[in-house]
Amino acid sequence: MRPFTSGDLPPVFALLPDAAVAGHLGRSIQAGLELPPQVALARACVAYDESTAERRQTAPVRDLLDEAMRRFADDRSSADGWLAPRLHATLRMTRAEAADGRLWNHLAMIVAPDYVVWRHKGADKAEGPGVATAARFSGPHYTQAFSRLWWAAELFRDGDDYRPVVTACRVQDVLNTTLRLDVIDHRPTAQAVIRVVGRLVDEGAPRPGDRVNALSSAVNAAGSTLMYDVLARDDAPDPDELLDWIEAGKSEVVDWERLPEGPSDGRVRPAAVDALLPFFEKLLEEAPLRRRKPTEGERSEAATLPGPRAPGVVLAKPSDFTG
Amino acid sequence: MKSVYPYPTLFGDIELDILSVTVDGAAEFPYSHVSRSERTVALHRSGRERWDYCTLRLRATLPDREIADGRWTDLACLATLTEKATNARTTTLLEASADGSWSGTIDLHRSRHVDRATLGLVVVATVDGVAGRVIGTTERDWYLDLKASTPVRQREIEIVEADFREGPDEWLRPYKDSPWIVETTGDVPTVHLNTGGVDGLVDLLGDSGGSPAERMLREMVAGQIAQDAWTAMFHTAISDLDVDEDGTPVMPTGWREAVLRMMLPDVLPGRQPVDALYDIAERRAKGFGWAELQTNIQYAAGKRSRITRKLTNAVRGLDVADRNGTR
Repeated sequence: MRPFTSGDLPPVFALLPDAAVAGHLGRSIQAGLELPPQVALARACVAYDESTAERRQTAPVRDLLDEAMRRFADDRSSADGWLAPRLHATLRMTRAEAADGRLWNHLAMIVAPDYVVWRHKGADKAEGPGVATAARFSGPHYTQAFSRLWWAAELFRDGDDYRPVVTACRVQDVLNTTLRLDVIDHRPTAQAVIRVVGRLVDEGAPRPGDRVNALSSAVNAAGSTLMYDVLARDDAPDPDELLDWIEAGKSEVVDWERLPEGPSDGRVRPAAVDALLPFFEKLLEEAPLRRRKPTEGERSEAATLPGPRAPGVVLAKPSDFTG
Repeated sequence: MKSVYPYPTLFGDIELDILSVTVDGAAEFPYSHVSRSERTVALHRSGRERWDYCTLRLRATLPDREIADGRWTDLACLATLTEKATNARTTTLLEASADGSWSGTIDLHRSRHVDRATLGLVVVATVDGVAGRVIGTTERDWYLDLKASTPVRQREIEIVEADFREGPDEWLRPYKDSPWIVETTGDVPTVHLNTGGVDGLVDLLGDSGGSPAERMLREMVAGQIAQDAWTAMFHTAISDLDVDEDGTPVMPTGWREAVLRMMLPDVLPGRQPVDALYDIAERRAKGFGWAELQTNIQYAAGKRSRITRKLTNAVRGLDVADRNGTR
């Protein structure tokens, strides 16, 4: 592949529709053999309102990604924990803005296609070169190469404190499994889960990924009959603080060594996390570990997934009928 | 399929009402934007695009007698405001009033929501010594629609007209010879009609009168487009299903769920939707019986597209299935 050069970089972010990605993304791009057709893609883009252009510059994000590729050349999955908080603090925006998948398409297809391939390319096989799956370029918030990091930072940060985000990224299964559960939208629940994850990793527990999956699954299932919101009260984050932080970030460049500071929109009450911790520890102790299917390359990152949060206990399962 | 709780729960109705909506702490929202029967609030108003938050005044009624007789303690009423697209979750505890109802307010912040937020009520109590048990929820949640200006629950497929050959949309250019295409990648499926395709086709579809021959042609074309739309939507909805831990496919959300619930009974007659989903996911993955299924998909799509006559009717009607009512 011709290396990505600064000449390829548009100055500001824009919105790239899914249909345009689908029309141009092919195996040779996913394998990193060629770059996406920048000119054709640029024509399909929708520009942001000009008044916000100042905080949508691509160069700071690109610098960050170049540094991540240099720093973690030998261990690409470790880049997540370094990058997630820094990406969140560089690409400052509201959740409403981050929910627009077209921004992430733009980042993956136009600003940093080489990063997507570098981070997510599977192993080469006899049938052909390994590829990064299409969902890493354009996909759900918990799969797409960059939105998964941004949302991990958003959902696991404790107000301005990004340290729980770093902990979360130490186990890939948190990003692959826990991130997609609705229960972690309740902040004390997210913080309590990460506290348990942190303990597991610090103690060097065997098979931490499987245990995180078991825990997530159990927390999610218990959440269908237990209201964590009532057991652990949370105050709504302060939206004005967030907007001030976004505004203040226009010319800010994040430090590569020190962890940046997030928006001070309010931390989770320590008592709320403490209220859930013993219960989650108990769930972890009782949760059965599932045997992981042997898979190769990229696939091994796709762990088993707990289903969505359903009320009560469902007695019948389709598998009961088809046996 | 009925959910069963391993402890006593409320049987009677739990009602949640929105009494008023104020914007940015001052301006009262016109009540025509709030529909009690549709359980929907339309938060979009032309001429007032800029706002930061709105405050909803809530009132809930619970089955009082049941509660008085039951063995629940520490009863609490929690209003929950959520949206999947932004992973937003805001909750507020309602307070009991003298007349037995529960009331409170909840704020919806624009920066945390993007499309359609869901407002529900959960009744929580201590049961058999376990605190925080869910003992009841509203039958039907409220939708707070940030993009709609009329409060309707049902969402329609978008139909847009564009010149594929010379219009501004680059990506439509390769389809310049098709009279229409169906796009199912987005939040709402869209039918693009090509104004530069077949001469007079778009006018014909937009018309309502005309000679018997014209009317028949219009119905044929509308039915054809609708058939394409339903087929494309079905295939999109069953591709890329998430599976839970024992490999059971999970019903998708949004319009995909609505499409599956409507079409699965015709594609695999006599099966529960979730059961049918399992079967289809397996056939798709393993390849057996997949070709046979196509006939039924075609039949199901055809059935839906011939129910109504005009194009807008023929492809409308994606009732984004009620979160509670369909589980």
